[in-house]
Amino acid sequence: MSIKRSLSTLTLSGFTLSALLILSFINILLQNVATNIERAGDGLLKLNSSEGVANVVTTVVVYFRGFDTLGEIAVLFIASLGVGLMLERNTECTIKVQSNFMLQSASKLLFPIIIIFGLYVMIYGHLSPGGGFQGGVLVASAVLLLLISNKDLEVPHAVISALETLAGVSYVLIGLMGLLLSDVFLFNFLSPNIADFGLLLSGGIIPIVYIIVGIKVGSEMGFIVQNLLKRSDDV
Amino acid sequence: MSSVLFVALPLLFGFSTPILGYFGKNAVAYVSTLMQLFLLYLGFDLLLNEGFSIELISIAPPLGISFVVTKVSLLFVLLFTSVMTLFSLYYLSYRSEKPYRDESKFFILINMLLAASIGLVLSSDIFNIYVFFEIAGISAYILSAYEKSSSALEAGIKYLITGAVASIFLIFAIVLIYIYIGSLNLGIIAQHFELLPFQIKLLISILLLIGFGFKVEIFPLNFWVSDVYQGSSTLVNALFSAIVVKAYLFVFFHLLYLFLPHGEFSLFLIYLGAFSMLAAEVAGLRQSHLKRLFAYSSLGQVALVFTAFALQNTQAIQAALFIVLAHSVAKMGIFFALALIEKEHESMESETLKSLNSPFLRVILLISMLSLLGIPLFAGFVGKLLVLKSLALEGMLPIIMMIILASLIEAVYYFKLAGYMFTSDKRRDVLKVTWAHKTILAFLSLLLLIIGMAPFLLSEYLFEASKLMLGGVS
Amino acid sequence: MFEFFNSPEVINIIVIIGSMLLFFVGLFGLLTQKHIIKIFMSIAIMETAVYLFFIGSLFKLDAIAPIMKVADDTSKFNDPIPHAMILTAIVIAMAVFALGVSFAIEYYKLSGKTNIDTMNEMRH
Repeated sequence: MSIKRSLSTLTLSGFTLSALLILSFINILLQNVATNIERAGDGLLKLNSSEGVANVVTTVVVYFRGFDTLGEIAVLFIASLGVGLMLERNTECTIKVQSNFMLQSASKLLFPIIIIFGLYVMIYGHLSPGGGFQGGVLVASAVLLLLISNKDLEVPHAVISALETLAGVSYVLIGLMGLLLSDVFLFNFLSPNIADFGLLLSGGIIPIVYIIVGIKVGSEMGFIVQNLLKRSDDV
Repeated sequence: MSSVLFVALPLLFGFSTPILGYFGKNAVAYVSTLMQLFLLYLGFDLLLNEGFSIELISIAPPLGISFVVTKVSLLFVLLFTSVMTLFSLYYLSYRSEKPYRDESKFFILINMLLAASIGLVLSSDIFNIYVFFEIAGISAYILSAYEKSSSALEAGIKYLITGAVASIFLIFAIVLIYIYIGSLNLGIIAQHFELLPFQIKLLISILLLIGFGFKVEIFPLNFWVSDVYQGSSTLVNALFSAIVVKAYLFVFFHLLYLFLPHGEFSLFLIYLGAFSMLAAEVAGLRQSHLKRLFAYSSLGQVALVFTAFALQNTQAIQAALFIVLAHSVAKMGIFFALALIEKEHESMESETLKSLNSPFLRVILLISMLSLLGIPLFAGFVGKLLVLKSLALEGMLPIIMMIILASLIEAVYYFKLAGYMFTSDKRRDVLKVTWAHKTILAFLSLLLLIIGMAPFLLSEYLFEASKLMLGGVS
Repeated sequence: MFEFFNSPEVINIIVIIGSMLLFFVGLFGLLTQKHIIKIFMSIAIMETAVYLFFIGSLFKLDAIAPIMKVADDTSKFNDPIPHAMILTAIVIAMAVFALGVSFAIEYYKLSGKTNIDTMNEMRH
């Protein structure tokens, strides 16, 4: 292969176009620095001590902007449904290579630790950094570890489906309960007591919803991981 | 009753389908249809009782998310719900012969699409709009690849890539809005948008235009549309052109009227729309595949709506709403009829129409095409006339010429199809249409004739709606 | 000698230039690459750039993570909204790419193609 390689017109024009665009972006952004603006986040921080939990990001994700999270759960749900639709299996599992001894024994050691850590992150999501999404992904990663270390293992589809249904339905039902009890969708009807602020049992529906989100994310991600890992093809 | 139910119930339905699956094979289908009928009832209930309401979610705006129901958003909500209900009713009798595989997933997807389109229209929080943008997008990608043939998957991949790129630009715009304005509530953004530095305003507007431009199918960001329509299954195309693109169009112009009430980019957008229309019709002229041809016709109609909305005055918006209604009804009729033809003939080349032996379907197709064309006495006429009138009032002669030229080109290929349908004599056996399908198709055509002959039934409501839309109630 | 980097203005400039360079990498890939998976990767890079830009621009040097006690002064915390928004956006983007990859796998299985230039079955 010669050192002198010719640049194609596509590369050159793509480079020029994107460089021009980015330079103008940088130029505009550098010239207009946002000065001190009162942002919505400041208002939410002030509201948090009376309506929220210790971790303000959790309050925002689950409660103040809880509707976005419901939508996000829906996106994840649709995506895992789509992945299942695309890669559904007619034949048996097809990982052909057996993993080596080290991975097998390490996964046995690590699996419970990761699961417990995932559950911890999920349950304490309203007090410390973390929460349902992070915890759910951790649980799914533990499942991934099991799946790659043991080629015959298969997480039963019925279990995943039951967990996912339970979590999804109860999330919407909690929202509808708020609508029923106080005419506001996703309202915190177990009104939080300020004296409990910072305790494990505090914040009304917020920790409950975040655990539900964790279960939902964990099962959807586990489903996606299993589907992508064990396809019927092996092309 | 609460407007949040429009989103909450379809989501509840989607999440609970495994439970419904235990109650037999048809439970999912019937529950889905019943739910849509209930939503339709809910829509009319809101229309008759209130007409305007702000629905809080979690906490009060501007810090929280809220749904705003006005006459104009209700119009779109009712349009989407009734389109989806008709679709379900149509599919219920279609599925006995040729069901989609894994039907319950199909029902989940169409209901999610409905929820997301309604959420897009009702939401008054820009990040919430992004979330619904993505839900509508992702369910549309799967619906378009649903048949898992290589052309369907190709359509799905193209749709997904363009959608993902669009969402990057949208989220970039939202990020800039939050950094420079500090709020996500549409009302607050609208108040502060004019005070922004000019460059930032321009940057945000361009990013929003690119982000929504992919979705509202505007030239040159509409290269993917024809492939998606051709690869997707015919029934689903009815949803794409009657619901998805309409929801995006509404949101785009809702944001435009809120952020730029003085029409800073108006002229540019008008020319863009008119040029898109002309380009789409010229490209449609040489298509022989029916779905692809009607994709280009959709592009043309959407571009006409875009032009009318971009004029940014009450009369033009009223005209745009008329075209939105007429186009949705007509495209539903066309794609429903094409689905029956495709099932029978297993081909979608336009030559297929030569051997179509069903006077009923031929008449339905003809009425729908005449309405799309804007012939007097059909629904499409009123809208087109009003657009041309308001363009004439603004003195935009070149745009009028472009639209008339585009309509003439459109007429050429519709009459070519009509010629195929009515002049040939080597026909196949009679194509049997079930009574349920006949009722729905006849209802759609009747609707086109009623709107066309008595536009005054709607015009007052649409005029009020357009005033509200321009006034920017958020 | 590194105190220079601690001023908010310098950090802002670094954030803007850095994230926009990343955006450039993604955009360049999107415009020039032909392999489906590489296109997905380019899009993912662009998205990451936007997230970095957002978190970086609203990051205050003297503020701490927003985990509060009851009577805390709220002005010492970072804005929680960017974190919440980006959390949502990341999950959505991940879901879309998982779906995209599964489309690509299935398409490759059916047609043996990975190059988007050859994806033109419908244009005869």
